[in-house]
Amino acid sequence: MSSLPLAHVSHWLVQLLYVVPVVIVVGALAITSIRDRRAERSMPDPADEPAVR
Amino acid sequence: MHRRRVLAALLLAGALVVVPEAALAHGLVGREDLPIPKWLFLYGAVAVLVVSFVGLAILWPRPRLEQPSQRRIASLPRLLDPLCGAIGVALFVLVVLAGLTGSQTSTNNIAPTFIYVVFWVGLAVASMLFGDVFKAFNPWRSIARAVAAIASKAGSKQLPAPMTYPVWLGRWPAAAGILAFAWVELVYSGRGDPSNLAVLALAYAAVQFVGMSLYGIETWNRYGDAFGVYFGLFARMSPLHWERGTLHRRTALGGLTTLDAVPGTVALLCTMIGTTSFDGFQGGPLWGEIAPRMTDSLHDIGFGQAAALEIAFTIGLITVVAFVAGLYRLGVWGMRNAGASRLSTDELGARFVHTLVPIALAYVVAHYFSLLAYQGQALLYLASDPLGSGANVFGSASTTIDYTWISANAIWYVQVAALVLGHVAGLILAHDRALVTFTEGRVATRSQYWMLAVMIAFTSLGLWLLSAANS
Repeated sequence: MSSLPLAHVSHWLVQLLYVVPVVIVVGALAITSIRDRRAERSMPDPADEPAVR
Repeated sequence: MHRRRVLAALLLAGALVVVPEAALAHGLVGREDLPIPKWLFLYGAVAVLVVSFVGLAILWPRPRLEQPSQRRIASLPRLLDPLCGAIGVALFVLVVLAGLTGSQTSTNNIAPTFIYVVFWVGLAVASMLFGDVFKAFNPWRSIARAVAAIASKAGSKQLPAPMTYPVWLGRWPAAAGILAFAWVELVYSGRGDPSNLAVLALAYAAVQFVGMSLYGIETWNRYGDAFGVYFGLFARMSPLHWERGTLHRRTALGGLTTLDAVPGTVALLCTMIGTTSFDGFQGGPLWGEIAPRMTDSLHDIGFGQAAALEIAFTIGLITVVAFVAGLYRLGVWGMRNAGASRLSTDELGARFVHTLVPIALAYVVAHYFSLLAYQGQALLYLASDPLGSGANVFGSASTTIDYTWISANAIWYVQVAALVLGHVAGLILAHDRALVTFTEGRVATRSQYWMLAVMIAFTSLGLWLLSAANS
């Protein structure tokens, strides 16, 4: 009763295994989103291309 | 924008860290002897979700569930509807009478087992399998229909037309009703008292009669009656659909895509998932440490011991519901940005809310399966002796609960399977809806990365809660 919840660190560390998949997927998600944005930015704007006659 | 996204991603990941380990409150499960650690089941479940996501992106290029077709397979006798209604009313009367006049020992009285096991859990599973059976057996709806039929035949005047149901009210009454039921089940100190349950059942029926008289029987049943809405949502997953005296067959899950996401629907689904989650959470070791501290603090400022305990648990219940709502909102927010949608986060959240229904059912099955498997057997002896008065109507009063008919391992496998199937169903529905919401296929897939993250987060949460059982 007198111990703090944070005292059971080893117990908590085992529980962190349940968070790892979420962290991995969210990390992959963030990286993919950033890459997508960069790719979109690097694509030439169709308005800048010379018109085909 | 990138910084906000990364922050959101970190929040989504960190959200699960702050929730402590929990255990099944109602789980009467022996110790499993599993071939691999429990956490490895989560990794398997996540792998299934990721593979399903990729498979959907490649093999499901067009929406298939958005316009579900149904085929009539049978006509039902006209007598069936009133017969089911009469059975529902008889059961309601039995439960209330047992609660008021029977033994006040919860295990000897049919009321607690009927309400918490047969009604709350059994009917949810039955709705998913057989369609909206509760609608037929709904006692207050049946009484209201009978009264309306008699009044219209006996009276010389036409019954007054019901009021128009306010759009803003939506499913908020149902959300409040489910939260109130969960509060009674998980927080209220008199939850096991049969007479309390009987009085609460009568009070609930009275509210339904007022609602039906104001807004019409079917309208109130569709939006206001918490249990009608709750079971009705699960029934939308069923391949069977009962309508105007006929039985139809339709694509499984297809009924969910026609769900009208009126105000309160997101809150209702988050309440359904959140309250079940809290039931697991409150049995866990960390809540076991936090709750006494909160209770002591509340006691110190003047609350009685029982009131302090109820306030602490109420705070916990609302916090977990809010956490689930926040997780879903975060996923929708990310989806909106990834898909560059013109819809607001609220609108998008409403459009995808039907994806939470299979998750809510998965949580119910995973969390309460052992309760249904074991405590459900008590109905055998309670049916013979519903009041606990020593009667033996059907000759089964001496039967006992067999705790060996299903192993602890088998229960764990059912729980994991329920969670995985529920979340895969959620992914399918989200993918199908994304194809009509985001016109470009690539954008639709990109938007669904966030829903995948939400599904994985809910799967992790669900397995985490379950894993703590008997740990």
